[in-house]
Formats: sequence, structure tokens, C-alpha cells
Amino acid sequence: MKYRVMHKTSYFGHQAVSIGHNQAWLEPREVPSQQVESFVLKISPEPSIRSRQNDYFGNPVTLFSFNEGYQSLSVTATSFVTITPPLAARSGDVLEASPPWEEVVAMAKAHTDPESLHAYEFVFASPRVRWSAEMLEYVRPTFVPGRPILEAVDELTRRIHTDFVYDPRATTVTTPVADVFRMKRGVCQDFAHMQIALLRALGIPARYVSGYLRTYPPEGKPRLVGADASHAWLSVFCGPRGWADVDPTNNKFTTIDHICLAWGRDYSDVPPLTGVFIGGGQHRLTVEVDVLPIG
Amino acid sequence: MSIGLTQDTKPLRLYQAPAQVYDEVYTAGGDIRPHWSRVLQAYSQVPQAEFARRNAQADRLLRENGVNFHSFTDQASAARPWKLDLLPLVITSTEWSGVEDGLAQRARLLNAIIRDLYGPQTLIKERHLPAEVVFANPEFLRPFFNLRPSELNPLFLYAAELARSAQGTWWVMADRTEAPAGPGFALENRIITSRTIPSSFKQIHVERLASFFVHLQNSLRRRATRALESPRTVLLTQGPNHRYYFEDVYLARYLGYTLVEGGDLAVRNDCVFMKTLSGLLPVDIVLCRCSESGLDPLELGGSASHGVPGLLHAARCGNVAMANTPGCGIMGAPIFMAFLPTICERWFGEKLKIPSIATWWCGDPENLRLVQSRAEELVIKPAFQKSGGEEIIVSDLSKADRDQLLGRIAAQPYLWVAQEKMARSGVPVWSETGVRCGHVAVRAFLVEDEAEYRLMPGGLIRVAPDAGPMQLSVSAGDGSKDLWVLAKGRVDKVTLLAPGDQPAELRRTSALFPSRVADNLFWLGRSLDRCDFLSRIIRSLADRLLGEGSTEMTEIRFLARVLVEQGQLEPGFVVDGLESQLPSLAEALPAAVYDKSEVGGLTSAISELTRLSSLVRDWMSPDTWQRVHLTAEAFNVSASQEWIDLTDVVTSTSQLIGNLASVSGLIADGMNRGPSWRFLELGRCIERAGATAKLLLSAELRSGVSTPALLKTLIEVLDVQMTYRFRYRDQLQRNAVLDLAITDETNPRSLVFQIERLVSHVDRLPGAENRPLRSEDMRIVMQCAHAVRMLTAEDLAAAVPRNVVAALKAIEEGTTALSNTLTRKYLVHSGTPRQITDFSGGTP
Repeated sequence: MKYRVMHKTSYFGHQAVSIGHNQAWLEPREVPSQQVESFVLKISPEPSIRSRQNDYFGNPVTLFSFNEGYQSLSVTATSFVTITPPLAARSGDVLEASPPWEEVVAMAKAHTDPESLHAYEFVFASPRVRWSAEMLEYVRPTFVPGRPILEAVDELTRRIHTDFVYDPRATTVTTPVADVFRMKRGVCQDFAHMQIALLRALGIPARYVSGYLRTYPPEGKPRLVGADASHAWLSVFCGPRGWADVDPTNNKFTTIDHICLAWGRDYSDVPPLTGVFIGGGQHRLTVEVDVLPIG
Repeated sequence: MSIGLTQDTKPLRLYQAPAQVYDEVYTAGGDIRPHWSRVLQAYSQVPQAEFARRNAQADRLLRENGVNFHSFTDQASAARPWKLDLLPLVITSTEWSGVEDGLAQRARLLNAIIRDLYGPQTLIKERHLPAEVVFANPEFLRPFFNLRPSELNPLFLYAAELARSAQGTWWVMADRTEAPAGPGFALENRIITSRTIPSSFKQIHVERLASFFVHLQNSLRRRATRALESPRTVLLTQGPNHRYYFEDVYLARYLGYTLVEGGDLAVRNDCVFMKTLSGLLPVDIVLCRCSESGLDPLELGGSASHGVPGLLHAARCGNVAMANTPGCGIMGAPIFMAFLPTICERWFGEKLKIPSIATWWCGDPENLRLVQSRAEELVIKPAFQKSGGEEIIVSDLSKADRDQLLGRIAAQPYLWVAQEKMARSGVPVWSETGVRCGHVAVRAFLVEDEAEYRLMPGGLIRVAPDAGPMQLSVSAGDGSKDLWVLAKGRVDKVTLLAPGDQPAELRRTSALFPSRVADNLFWLGRSLDRCDFLSRIIRSLADRLLGEGSTEMTEIRFLARVLVEQGQLEPGFVVDGLESQLPSLAEALPAAVYDKSEVGGLTSAISELTRLSSLVRDWMSPDTWQRVHLTAEAFNVSASQEWIDLTDVVTSTSQLIGNLASVSGLIADGMNRGPSWRFLELGRCIERAGATAKLLLSAELRSGVSTPALLKTLIEVLDVQMTYRFRYRDQLQRNAVLDLAITDETNPRSLVFQIERLVSHVDRLPGAENRPLRSEDMRIVMQCAHAVRMLTAEDLAAAVPRNVVAALKAIEEGTTALSNTLTRKYLVHSGTPRQITDFSGGTP
């Protein structure tokens, strides 16, 4: 599946911003199931300086800054990517064939091979993901002894989808996961953090994935340009099987509809766009995302 | 009384150390260790009273230097001075060079580990370190990954916390790798000790500390990423609210670096600049005296006062050198101590020369069992917390607390380490009641210079009354001592001055004048004059309320009104019927003067004065700072008396006026006429002109209203009694008073005098020379000058002096406008950095 993804962030300040420094995780990373054909980051006004590097987790990140003031800023990322279907289909066979979850926990703990060592980094608390005894209590009934990990993860994904209400007004970008657990409300980012916390509480490595999701227009309606949004889900370590991506917001394993940007321990490692600026007074920030299938 | 060395062989016994600790002075047999004999001899020659006097002198010097560990801005938590004991800790140079050898090895090892953890992580891959030291460690900051991979030694300045075991060997109790505090305190202890110690000690040859700082400067210069004769170096401080700010100021001054806060620096095109009055100047080296985690709000988040957005990427691009390189701080965590011996043998093929205190990481199941069974004998610490943090002595806990702690450890064992308790060695500590035994912690400092680590021939000694674990922060412990490393022969004098055969390039200005400093100096000038003005009015009013008979109500009403306008008194005191309120005014005045919560009051004006001067401490002479400090201290002492009446008000305001005058004198005599002085003066003149104009306007200068008594009050408050009496005897005439107060250019307190000075200062501000037309600030001061200069003798004598009032109003408004313009143009150097975050919610 080929896509053209456009992600445009516009910033408008009531007073001019005097200087600004920014970091963007807007370039899709290369993964086995995803090839990046091209990526262009258009910044207007033209920044004084920009550079690209890989972060600690291997995600491409662009840094740019302005010496001159500006009143409005737009950052437009355009990527062409090809997605090949991931192996994990949600069929009973595949789920049952995965190793018992305790085996995965033990593998990470022992981390004797490079892949488990890499996974072990995603077992611990991180700036946005910590857990409590209540969360452990919530997750225990699903992770009964000896249960195949994918089967349990599948059930947990379903439970989060059922128990938590999608509500963009309930949380902000900084709402702690404990509040999300208490309110049982939030957006994709919160649900991803939630499921990561529940898995890490058991010792299962789980990482945060930032990206996009192709949306389908309602039957008989035309596709709306720019109505898509940033999305977030998680990757679960499944031992020898590698990583499986699940999307608790939509209660599914990821498909060719998911386009991955970057991963990290949680949102704070890979926000699409961050920046520090001086001045600017009140400001308004809008984001438009368009995921266009092109064959 | 003098303690003499007895003639027989029985040595002088000053104190008794507990049996289980190593005694620095006496052997087990009770003999004096040879390297102590000269010190004890010197001590025995000094009468006790003299030693006491010298110790008190040292205490006073420290207090005057303002050594303390509290924020300067918080007057309430009165600063605890750093106590210094004049009896030094003595160590032979042979022993100290052994310590240098051992700690240098340790420093090299720490460097290798830092470079590995923020790079290839082979230690983890090969399992010489548990993966938790990176993955579970909140102090492992991923933006530092591969920051300066080619840098030979990221650890520029390193401090080790040492203690001597009962067997007499040195052990490392903790490592300090993130901007270690203390080298400045060690230096100050040395300077004060050598100034105050009795002369009998001065025959002892002691290694000097300066060589250490020369290494530091040379090494730092070599770290510059561009080839430069004299790279520009700044010392980045966490600011006046941080407890080691004093040391930052002290070091910046001693080393000759500009002290900056985050807001003084800016990153443009991945290069670092300093914001000065004359624009942005490139910075080559940043000596970081702050926590790494706040260095760059862009990559690390937060809003630390030392944060500079874009700083890390500038370092990554090789455009600025930072010391220590960000990332070093991680090695301050106790978890590493458990693994150093193995890594040292593995990498260097040698044993760790100075062992660490026995440390067990609870993440290892076997260790966990051991810790659980021996908890009572151990000290528990969070594994990843940099030294100086939480430290739990299990034997001090109640049963319930102990169980709770063990529960926390069992739940997440990898977050904890346990360490052995160690009895620290005993040393003689002088006190007024005699010499007693104290227990020492030594902080030793190393600096990297051309790939070698140099140990400071001295260090920071902290003394505690008992031998048990001492908190690792430098502010812990009872007091401090100087560390004397005995020299083998004569000591060469090393100074930080350039060699004499190289003439310096002559300069008239120092270009590195941050806008923030100009801002603070400007307000310091205003605050100095405001304190003076307020205290004069308060004194005059208190005087009149005390005096009987001759006082007229107009004077009291006038002064009370001025104080109300200044926010010093409640508005109720200016209404009619003041006569009946006199008793309550007499009570209200002392209370209002010493009321800390009164924003416009004298007490808060004085704490503002102290705050501002602490902010610009490195731009004033030490004497000036001391004088300000003592002025505030003296006033606060009088304010803390239980019973305060009007007489106390008169006494303490008089004292304050005298002290402020000596501050002004020190500034006038000693401050270089550069931009720093100019901004201070601008502040003073603006404040004085504004206040004088306001005062005269309040005096209602109409005939009939301005009685002789009121005029007398005016010349008293304006401090021109002497001149007036010489010129006009006792004849009080309104026009003569007005002339003296407004138009007499020979009177340094007159309005015209202030305005003329403002004109000359504004004329010399940066950028004034290239402007074709008059700048806004210049136009404002010229307008004020014009208003005063155009007054005639008739104007001053007029029954209703309209023109005088108009001129005073022009000045009152002009000074406010000038203050605003200057602030906008020169002083507002930045806003607060803000974060933008973008997340649009998501796809349901």
C-alpha cells in the first residue's frame, strides 16, 4: 500500500516570536514493513538553520531554529511511504502460537541476546509512563499463568477499548496516566500510554509508537482532505517472535492502514513537533493531517 | 593559659578519639605522628585567649564574605555562616600523592564509563554493568547520547568524597561528577586560615592551592573548539536562588570568567552568544556550575534558570565546549561503586587503587538477600540518585519504617543500593571549651589537564561531632577546616596572574557586560537611594514625634503624608484631626518601619537592596558587598528587638543613613567608571530626582502654607542644613530653600545636579555616538534639564510658585519616562522561554 502523508502544523502568535528553537519527529522511520520513498519538510518562514540527525532510538529528527522573529509559522511534512502487510493477523492460530507471556518477561530480564537487551529498555518507568498496584490488579485477570502473550495482549487491547471512553476533552498532552486510569477517558495517546503501563507493570517490554492512521470516509461520502490526525499506538515485545503493534484506540493489531513515524519509551521521546520560543503573547496552534492512499 | 609541650617524652594529649576510629594525630601507642608535631608545637605556643580571638576573627571574616548556604534573596531564613576551625588537618605530601595517583586512576575509569554509556554501551552488552544503570536510570539523559564522542575526557572537574578507615587507609565514599561544589570553599578556607592563623603556624611549609586553579584555567582554555589566543569563557550558574551561588561568584571572580545565567546566553546558528549592552558576543567555553538536566529546555524540557535553548546542539556541532561535558553527572550515583573494581581490572588490567566503600546493588538477588539479612548494619540509598541525596541509616529507623523500607526494596530491588557504615577518623577540633575530637570527611578535587588528572593540594574538610555516616552535601557537618598538605621543601609561589615578562594588552572596558547585570545595577542604584530617602523622612518624623512643644503639626502632617505616599504608613494618618492621632502614630511608625510584609516599607526596601546587590556581587568590590551585607544585618538586628519605640527608630535610621553613606563612598571611590558604574548612577540619579521632586510637590509651596518649621524639615530631609546655615544663618526663606533644593548646581542633592549627571550618563550610553538625531532617552533628560534651567529667581520667590510646580511635575514625569525608556532599550534582554507542544488528539 502506498501513501502520501501530509502533516501541517501552523502556529500563529498575536505578537511576533523573537526567536525559536524547534525539534520535529515528522519523518517516518524505515522499518521492515515500511519503506520511505521520499520526505520533504517545508518550513515557512525559512529557518535560519536546520539539521537532521538520528536520536537515541534511531528515529530521524530535524532541528531548526530562527534568529529573526516571526508572527506565524508553518511546518509541513510530506512523506511518500509504502507499507507491506505486517505478519500478525488477528487469527486464533497466530495468537495461540505465541510464547507464554512469562517466557517473554524472563527473556527480557535475562536479556542474553541483542534483541531482548534492546527490549529490556522498554520495561521500566519512563517520564510519562508509571504504574500503580491498582493497575496491576486490573491487568492480572487477563495475564493468567501460561497464557500465550499475543492472546493476552489481544484481550487487554479489547478491554481498554471497551472500558475507556474516547474523549478529546478529558485529557491534555500532559495528563498523567494515573488520571487516565482513574477517569477511564482519553485519546489515542492516553490509551497507548495506558496499555504500555499495564504491560510494563508485568515486566513485558512495550514501546510507544507515533504515527498516522488511514481513515475511511463514511459509506457514500467523499474523503475529506486534512481531516485525519496524528495517531499513537504501542509495540509489544513477544520474545522470539519480535514485536507486535497493537492499537487500543481502535481495538486492533496494526495493519497496512498504520504509518509509523517514530518510537520511544513514551510520547515525551517522540513528540511530532516541540519548540521553545520567546515572546509571542497568546498563540494559536492548528494541525492538519492528510493520509492519501495512492495505490 | 598556654598549653606547653612538656619537656619529657610524654606527648601532648589534646583530645581522646574513640577506640574504633583512626586517630589522625596519635598512634595507637599514644605517640604524636611525626607530621603533626610541628602543628601541635605551633599550637602550644599560642595562649588560649589568643587562639580564641583568632578563631573569632576567622568567623567574622567568613561572615563578612557572606559565606553561607542559603539563598541570598531570602532574608527570613537567616544564613548560617560556614564555621571554620583554625586547626588544620595535616597530611604529608607523600600520602597525598598516593591519593592523587589513586583518584586519577578512578577519574580515568569514570571517563571511560561515561563515554561508553553515552556511546557504544559495550559495558552493558558484555554484562560488566547491569542494563538497569542505563534503562532504569532517570538520570540517564538520552539527548546526551553521542554528544561529543571524540572528546578525550568528558570529566573535566571531579570530586571524590574520602574517609579514612580504622586501619588508616582511604576509601571513596562518593563521587561527584556533575559540577562538584567545593573548590571555591576550599580556596576561601585557605585564604581566611592563612590570614588569621597565629604566626607560630606560618613557619610550616604548606602546598599552595593556586597551582590547581592554574591547571583548571589552562585546561579549560585548551578545550575551546576554535584555535584562539583567548577564548571567551563564561561560568554558567544556577542563579542567586541556588545554595552554592556564593561559590559561583567567588570562583568566577577568582578565575576571571564572566558569571552568566541562562538568560544571558543565546544560541544563533548553532553558536553560543552572550547578550551584552553592545550586542551578541560569541562564547567559546561554558564552565557549567549547574545541573545537567536543565541545560537545554529544548531537548531536556523544564525551565531551569540556567537553561539555554539550543545549547546542546551547539555543543554537538562542536561550536562550544562545555565542562563538564553533559552526561558526566550520571557517575555520581552510588550504583556504579559496586562495579568499579571489576571494570577497572577488565579495562585497565589493574586493581582499583583507592577502594570505594563496600556497596551492594540490590538488583542482584544474592545481594538482596544479604542486604535483607544485614540491614541493621547498612546505609540504604536510591541506586541512581546523585550523591548528596537520600541516605537511610537503617539502625535509626523504627520497626515500622524499617519494614516499610524493606518492602519498597523488595518491590523494586534494582532501585536501591546498600553501603557499609564507616567510622570516620578523628581529628582535633578547637572550641571555646577546649579541644575535642571531631570526625572528618575530605572532599578532594581533581582537574583534567592534558589528559592527566591533578589533585588539588588541599581540599574541603567537613567535621562532624560523631563518627557515623555524614550527609554528603557540602553544607552538612558542623564546620570546616583547611587541609594542609605539608610541602617537602620550600613552596614556589604560583599565582593566577600572567607571567611578568608578558605585558598585557591595555584595555579601558570589559566587553563582557551582560544586559541582566546592567538591569540589576540600575535597580540597585535606585534602591540605594530609596533606602536613604525613606530613612531620612522616617528619622525626621520620629524625631518630631519624640520632641515636645516646639514641633508644629504642619511638619508632622507633611512627613506623615510623604510616608503614606511612599507606602510606608496607612493612609488614615493624613486625614484631619491628626492631633488626636498622635499617640497612635507614635506607635504605628515603629511597627510600620520594621514590618516585613509592608511592600513599600523600609524593611522591604532594605531586603530589596540586599537582594539586588547579591545579584551583582561579582560586579562590585568585595568591600562594597560586605558593607551592604553589614548594613542590612545591622538594620535587621535592630528590627528584631522585642520592644521598639521611637528612640530605636531614630537610632537605627541614623545608623542606616551612615552605613548607606559608606556604601556610596565605596562605590564613588572604588568603582571603575565603566558601564556598570554608569547604570548604577543612572538608577541613583533617577530615584533621587524623582523623590526630591515628589517631596517638594507634597510640601505645598504656597505662601502661608510653607511655614519656617516646614522649610526646616525640608532642608533636614534634603540634608542641606549645613549649607543653608552657612549661607543664610537661621533665616528661613522659601526661595532660598527652593534654590538650594532645585537650582543650586553646587549642591550634590539638588535637582539640577541630578539632571546634569543624567544628561552626561545618557550621552555616554552604548550606541549614542552613531545616532544622527537625539535619542528618546536623551530628549527626556534634556526636557528635564530645560525645565529646571529656565526657572528664574522670581519664579522661586513667587507667592504661588506656578512655574516651580510645573518644573517639578515635568521632572517627576520625566524620571519615570526615562526609567521606562532605558529599561526597554537596554535592560529587557529576554522573555521567559516557553514550550510549544503539538498533539492533535488522534484518530478514534
